[in-house]
Amino acid sequence: MEALARISLVFRLAIRSLWAHRIKSAIVGSLMVFGTVLVVSGSAMLDSIESAMSRSIIHSLAGHLQVYSSNARDELAIYGGTTMGGLDYGEIPSFKTVKDIAERVDNIKAVVPMGINVASMSRGSELDLAFGRLREAHRKRRVKDQTQLIPAIKRLLVILRDDLKNQVSVTSGPRHAEVTSQLAHVKTALTETFWATFTEAPLKGLEFLDTKVAPAGGDGRLMYLRYVGTDLAAFAKHFDRFQLVKGEAVPRGKRGILINQNFADKRLKILAARLLDSLEKARKEDVLIAGNAELESKARRLKTQSGAISILLSPENVRAITPLLKSKLGSKSDDFDSILGDFLTIDDGNLAERYQTFYSLMAPRLDLYPFKIGDVVTIRAWTKSGYSRAANVTVYGTFSFRGLERSDLSGAANLVDMMTFRELYGQMSSAQRQELSAIRKNAKVKSVSRASAEDALFGGADTSATEAMDVSGRFSEFDGVDLKKKRRSQDERPYTQSDIEQGMALSIAVLLKDESQIESTRLALQDALTKANLKLKVVDWKTASGLIGQFVQLVRAVLYFAIFTIFAVALVIINNSMLMATLERVREIGTMRAIGAQRGLILSLMVTETFVLCSVAGALGTALGTGLISWLNTRGIPATTDVMVFLFSGPRLFPDYTSQHVWIANTIIVIVSLLATLWPARVATRVQPIEAMRSAD
Amino acid sequence: MSMIVSVEDVHKEYPLGKVTVHALRGVSLGIEAGDFVTIAGPSGSGKTTLLNQIGCVDVPTSGRVLIDGRCTSELKERQLTALRLEKLGFIFQTFNLVAVLDVAQNVELPLLLQGGLSKTDREERVATLLESVGLTEQRKQRPNELSGGQRQRVAIARALVTRPAIVLADEPTANLDSETGDRIIDIMKALNRDHGTTFIFSTHDERVMAHARRIIKMVDGRLSSDERIGAE
Repeated sequence: MEALARISLVFRLAIRSLWAHRIKSAIVGSLMVFGTVLVVSGSAMLDSIESAMSRSIIHSLAGHLQVYSSNARDELAIYGGTTMGGLDYGEIPSFKTVKDIAERVDNIKAVVPMGINVASMSRGSELDLAFGRLREAHRKRRVKDQTQLIPAIKRLLVILRDDLKNQVSVTSGPRHAEVTSQLAHVKTALTETFWATFTEAPLKGLEFLDTKVAPAGGDGRLMYLRYVGTDLAAFAKHFDRFQLVKGEAVPRGKRGILINQNFADKRLKILAARLLDSLEKARKEDVLIAGNAELESKARRLKTQSGAISILLSPENVRAITPLLKSKLGSKSDDFDSILGDFLTIDDGNLAERYQTFYSLMAPRLDLYPFKIGDVVTIRAWTKSGYSRAANVTVYGTFSFRGLERSDLSGAANLVDMMTFRELYGQMSSAQRQELSAIRKNAKVKSVSRASAEDALFGGADTSATEAMDVSGRFSEFDGVDLKKKRRSQDERPYTQSDIEQGMALSIAVLLKDESQIESTRLALQDALTKANLKLKVVDWKTASGLIGQFVQLVRAVLYFAIFTIFAVALVIINNSMLMATLERVREIGTMRAIGAQRGLILSLMVTETFVLCSVAGALGTALGTGLISWLNTRGIPATTDVMVFLFSGPRLFPDYTSQHVWIANTIIVIVSLLATLWPARVATRVQPIEAMRSAD
Repeated sequence: MSMIVSVEDVHKEYPLGKVTVHALRGVSLGIEAGDFVTIAGPSGSGKTTLLNQIGCVDVPTSGRVLIDGRCTSELKERQLTALRLEKLGFIFQTFNLVAVLDVAQNVELPLLLQGGLSKTDREERVATLLESVGLTEQRKQRPNELSGGQRQRVAIARALVTRPAIVLADEPTANLDSETGDRIIDIMKALNRDHGTTFIFSTHDERVMAHARRIIKMVDGRLSSDERIGAE
């Protein structure tokens, strides 16, 4: 009972002296509250982001684990590293071998072969398309179409002329001469006399346009395309974030590509549509065009797109749209080009309506994308041995990763079948390799440099080697593509599941049954692979996703640093104010010592004081921190940027906390507070009873 | 009569800046239990230092102080603290009440430190003492709500609550007006008479000295006179 009375005395003294020094207590207390709120909400947020991000990463591309070659010169970066392509991940010679081993390891649900690479894809130039249309109109003898096409062509030529003028002023040497002559041709094509003669002798005019003017328009835009070659069926089955947007899955045994919808919208779509999209996006975010330099420039660029759009519209469609647009705009002119020009003149007032009209009226009649579902497109890549390969693949559809529709980070990857990937990668079967060394021996070539490899080994007039290669192996470097004549045909040979599995892959995604056992499964798989003498390494999704995976680590480091700083400051402040309070109370402590209080009691007084304060502050901070997270949980934190969409694994993050966050925060606050009390407590216990005798001065 | 306090050739030196102050230069005296003793002298004469030695809040540089037969310089700090708690009561010049506790709690404090008494016993003891110092009505007030005289009476009650053998008071009336000072001394005398508690207090006030039964005068760290007044 007496112990209880003493404890109650200590508590009473502690609480009363906290109250007596309320300003100090309030300052110290609010620091503790702030620290607790920061730890609870910060760590809960980070864990929520991490788990959201891990969902994004794991279930869109990375899987829980990735297996790749130990010989890789670069670290695997599923979402791209700092450089664009050209990374060396080594290769896994046989997917099947790894699959067989992995299937015997506990907790592994599925393995999916992958090959990440970068290819290019080009869009034909608008001039080519325009001249093509003009030729067709002439062939079909549709004068009306011609009269509609010509103004649009002139408009494109004006843009081209201005561009060439700029080029003339900045180029030198042979390129300067070339550009100068191109400019002269374009100028000719813009004269009234040229079009007057064109009406009389259209074929001659068309030839001039095709041979002299079209080359000045360039090859069109070259686009880079990151793609992941994979077992498409297995991918769709095991990566649950994957969803088809348009079209259909690539049928089994067929070669095909699925374009990422986000990539298509942000990179492939025609410029006018992309400009409109970004203006509309800004409008939705309440950003006005007027006064915003970037948006104003976009609006100006949009105006220059009327030529490009009218070229893309077939003459029938132009006739269909003209009256509709005319009535919408209340325009007096009947000339489509001038109506279109007006339509594309956009300001804050008409943006919403123009955007809506563009997509309802014009988009259905335009090819917004350089491909249609079902088209065969040519993609080119550099093989490992350094020469260019092309493959023609059917676009079966577009897809997105659920929740990440707007995210560029995951949106940059497109999917192709494993066979096409292997061809573009330049893989050779073992039979081919033997053949190659035989050729080398016959040709008495000891070493072949990369640059001359093609000519030395396969090029020139000697085609015998090519023929010899064609009959061997499943994967011929020469199938499908004839380097001299680019045919728009594709490899129709079907392939089987066994073809997919027998061959190589760059990496293998591993999906687990129990997500909490990532590390132990990683070790088990690594062990199994090493025992099988395979020079492969297994990394978790964080490592495999490159910079993105490390992002959370970075944010965590920043948070920890902030927490550390806050608590370091808190420690100093608590320590200081406790010390001040102690020094103020020297006489009181001395008195207590004089009338018989032992040092232990003084110490327990100090500790109790801190403990009471930090319990109250901890409880308050926990309430505020968890309250904040709960509030955010019901509301959701909107992702305002694409990076955030990816991090949040969707448009909103609904953070949540666990008892662990509360527990950790309160432990930290107690430890920090007690540490801060150490020195003042030492000072307090050293107060001599004789201090009580000194008169108050 | 037995000596409750005996001081044997006590020297006390302490450094003050660069010089060493010789506060006590060989003091010897004995105090009988139940006595009412004043130690007088001008300031700097060493009376506070002597009281501190007797009060066990300080130990002599040489010589011995025996409290109820126990030599203070042979005791460890813990034991000294315990000795203070058991045998001694303190009344300070500046009252030294615990500001955050009310009157009754201040008086109860040494009992809690000491332990061993039930709640009702403690309350009874506190109540009795508060009555004898005339502060029953103020028992729930905080020190800062009291006058100087009232505060010193609280301090007296606190010093006596553990029923110590000796009560030490360093200039207990120095901060009080003379009338209040007289009252304080009267209360101390009454308690000395009723409980037989030994009172040792320092003062330089002639009027206060007049109440003592024994006056020990000090000059320059030495006893200059030791006289017993009257016989009761």
